[in-house]
Amino acid sequence: MGAIRILSARLRGLLRREAVIGDIDEEMRCHLEMVVEANVEQGMPPAEARRAALRSFGNFDSVRQRAWEVRGGGMLETFFQDLRYGARVLARNPAFTAVAVLTLALGIGANTAIFSVVDQLLLRPLPYPGAERLVMLWEVTPDGTHQNTVSFANFLFWRRETRSFAGMAAFSDQRVNLTGLGEPEEVSLQLATAELFQVLGFKPILGRGFTPEEMLPDGPRVVVVGHGFWRRHLGGDPGAIGKVLQLNSRPYTVVGVLPEGFRWHIRKSSVASRPAEIWSPLALPTEGPATRGRFLSVVARLKPGVSLTGAAAEMKTMAARLENESQEFNKGFGDEVVPLREQLVGEVRPALLILLGAVGLVLLIACANVSNLLLARVAAREKEIALRTAVGARRLRVVRQLLTESLLLSLLGSLLGLIFAAWGLRALVAISPRELVTLQGVGLNLPVLAVTLAVSLATGVLFGLAPALESTRLNLNDSLKEGGKGTAGQGARNRRLRNALVVAEVALALVLLAGAGLLIKSFVRLQAVDPGFRADGVLTMVARLPGGKYKEDRQKIDFFRQATERIRAVPGVRDVGMVNFLPFYGGLGAATAYFVEGRPAPPPGHFTTADVRVSDAGYFRTLGIPLLRGRGFTDVELRESRHVLLINEAMARQGFPGENPIGKRVKVVMGPDSEPGEIIGIVGDVKFASLTEEAKPTVYEPPPDLTYSAMTFVIRTAGDPGEMAPTVRRVLREIDPDQPVSDVQTMERLLSDAVRRNRFNTLLLGLFAGLATLLAAVGIFGVMSSAVTLRTREIGLRVALGAQQGQVLGLILKQGLRLTLAGVVLGLAGALALTRLLAGLLFGVGSTDPATFAAIAALLTLVSAIACYLPARRAARVDPLIALRYE
Amino acid sequence: MKLSKPKADLLQGTLDMLILKAVSLGALHGYGIIQRIRQMSDEMLDVEQGSLYPALYRIEQRGWVSSEWGQNETGRRAKFYTLTKAGRAHLEAEEASWDRLVLAVAKVRQAT
Repeated sequence: MGAIRILSARLRGLLRREAVIGDIDEEMRCHLEMVVEANVEQGMPPAEARRAALRSFGNFDSVRQRAWEVRGGGMLETFFQDLRYGARVLARNPAFTAVAVLTLALGIGANTAIFSVVDQLLLRPLPYPGAERLVMLWEVTPDGTHQNTVSFANFLFWRRETRSFAGMAAFSDQRVNLTGLGEPEEVSLQLATAELFQVLGFKPILGRGFTPEEMLPDGPRVVVVGHGFWRRHLGGDPGAIGKVLQLNSRPYTVVGVLPEGFRWHIRKSSVASRPAEIWSPLALPTEGPATRGRFLSVVARLKPGVSLTGAAAEMKTMAARLENESQEFNKGFGDEVVPLREQLVGEVRPALLILLGAVGLVLLIACANVSNLLLARVAAREKEIALRTAVGARRLRVVRQLLTESLLLSLLGSLLGLIFAAWGLRALVAISPRELVTLQGVGLNLPVLAVTLAVSLATGVLFGLAPALESTRLNLNDSLKEGGKGTAGQGARNRRLRNALVVAEVALALVLLAGAGLLIKSFVRLQAVDPGFRADGVLTMVARLPGGKYKEDRQKIDFFRQATERIRAVPGVRDVGMVNFLPFYGGLGAATAYFVEGRPAPPPGHFTTADVRVSDAGYFRTLGIPLLRGRGFTDVELRESRHVLLINEAMARQGFPGENPIGKRVKVVMGPDSEPGEIIGIVGDVKFASLTEEAKPTVYEPPPDLTYSAMTFVIRTAGDPGEMAPTVRRVLREIDPDQPVSDVQTMERLLSDAVRRNRFNTLLLGLFAGLATLLAAVGIFGVMSSAVTLRTREIGLRVALGAQQGQVLGLILKQGLRLTLAGVVLGLAGALALTRLLAGLLFGVGSTDPATFAAIAALLTLVSAIACYLPARRAARVDPLIALRYE
Repeated sequence: MKLSKPKADLLQGTLDMLILKAVSLGALHGYGIIQRIRQMSDEMLDVEQGSLYPALYRIEQRGWVSSEWGQNETGRRAKFYTLTKAGRAHLEAEEASWDRLVLAVAKVRQAT
């Protein structure tokens, strides 16, 4: 507090300099007059009295000066003087200033942008009160799949038996059709137990949450709506409580409105791929087969004083007890406790930290470059500095002056950098992976600005200190005598320092390039992965039939069959098909255990499981999924249940090693009355959630055998698939005017979204590496240019003695390449040590891939050869006559 | 230009305390402060103008005294300094610690 008060008092003094000095003058004068008066009173003659008074003051001017230094001047005034002087110096060298500021702005801008993202995702508190005590609870399957969704029965057991948690809630996402409020629309709904809002620390701003009665199966149909939904669909009406919404053609009463900013979406387990807008009670069946389905997500709040490890230990005992209690169902299953932040950003953290490290390196290179530029000017400013020293400036004073100049440069760089960062952030959000949806609110806020300021001050000192110390190391006499030409020792020191900086720049650039090269290679590998289907020219969209209107399976099947027939008839549509869970749609798909008829049932915990897909024959044709053996579905199977199945290669390998699966009968357990079906064919493997993982064993059933109320149409078009969307929508509207379609997207887009995170990392690291290389090239160019200037005489002499142009060119290139190679060798060592941090982000390429390293080293050498070439050519053209007369 | 530091710097804290003590009995101008310190010390302490004003301004910036232009007893314009609440608290703390120091030094000197 005191320091700020003094600083502000001094600043005020500085701003009102004239007034303050006038005030001091008057006070001193009054004081003087009083001394004179006193002297006169003691009997001195007036003239003598005044002389004595002045004497008692000592040096009147210096007293005044000292008083001024306290009230406004001192360090602060000197600083402003230095700043003004520095600004003049920079303004006099616009080219130097522009290059330095631009270099710093790129470095600082990149850092600010990435730090904003890191701050938002990793540092800032999550938007839930006491979020550090929130955890997700998952099951772990016997085959080691982590973060598996939880069964009803096990959730109820946990909630009843655990002691570690202050509250525990289960939830599950859905999509529902909203009708009766303008256009029919699909909205995301989250079924949740009553505790959800309380566990997350939110209260409805209007109305209430769910009552115990509403939690019962077949209880009253109620919804709590999110703030956005309330504003958009209910006009923000405070009297919205009690209104009725038609969801899936059933009436739901609005009982509560949640506060603005409440958002709850766990992508890992969501089938909605969009945050929920409305919530309704998740009724928990306490017995029967429905308690077995594993599809719940569970969030819990740790009790005060309970640690994460404590809770995890208790949960381990739960798993053991559950395994004991229901062998056939829980055999081999475990559970895990995942902190909420880990859940939300755990997957992107490593990449973000690497990017943060990368921009840090870019900034270091930028600093080295500016340092280099400043060192190059040391020689030019030698005389000025010598002069200042000669008239009595102390070394520290000159260093301070030069550092102020550096700080001015870095501050200018930061200002420009902030503009770059603002642009960069917008671009960053546009290309960010879906996991980073929370980035919507990212921006240049106060903490980020504070960090940028700190970084810019640090960089100012970092790149300014060496040149400043170097400048003041001058030998006064020599400098003044030689008229600005550095002495031999001085020049050599300076050169060595600059060479070292260039070597460091090259080394740092190589580390970044190696990282970027590995990511690019990995991305290319990823793009080359065959997903198992042809994505080009395919449009996809989802129709989700409301249960209230389409009660019977028959009705649903009729709708879907009619829809595919009508879509197929649209001109420009080549083929159409449908599936319940489209590959790469971004959410989970169904999976279950299957039993092969005629084999003994495996013991609990050893069931074989397969992904379950419902599709028609058109699905395979449209996506070009090959039929490898047997026959495919026909239209007959779409009309009536024939109990036939197709399986993929992975399932053939898993379930029928060394056997012919065709003709075998398999029971796919999707409900209590699942009937066995006959395998009629084997189709190719299709990747579902990610290009990097192996295709899972998958069984396909036609819709009459297993009916879903939501299906995705896949439509192969003759022209641009995106352009067909309106026509297809219209055709579907003709079948049911109340039926919306959603998720209208091309298959190519879905596939490209699947590698969005990889693209994001690759693009950014590539960009930073490119920036680093450019800066390093500028550094080499600068050093070689001044080396040529320094060697002009020597080169002139060589040419005069008969050296050919080519020889001179080679001489300079060799000098530059020596520096480059030193940097490359250092950089390779650094890269070998650092690229292993990338291992988790790579696919199909080792973290020390020799081919990549070799290519990068060659590339950097080439770039630096080009940077050396221009100065070398200048050297080759030195006219010996001019060069030798040069001094 | 930087000037050599005032000699009283060594006794910076002490000078501050003396000034605060001087104005604690009522508002004073700079000349008055010098006179008051001289009186209180039985003419033993003579504060120079060159030391007084930097110290006075520093004290003012810390908020221990406040100043106001007024007229002295002979009707001459002068700037008067008044002890603030914070200044009084600081003075008391300084006096206490000074007493402790004096006591401690005395003890050390008596220990033979």
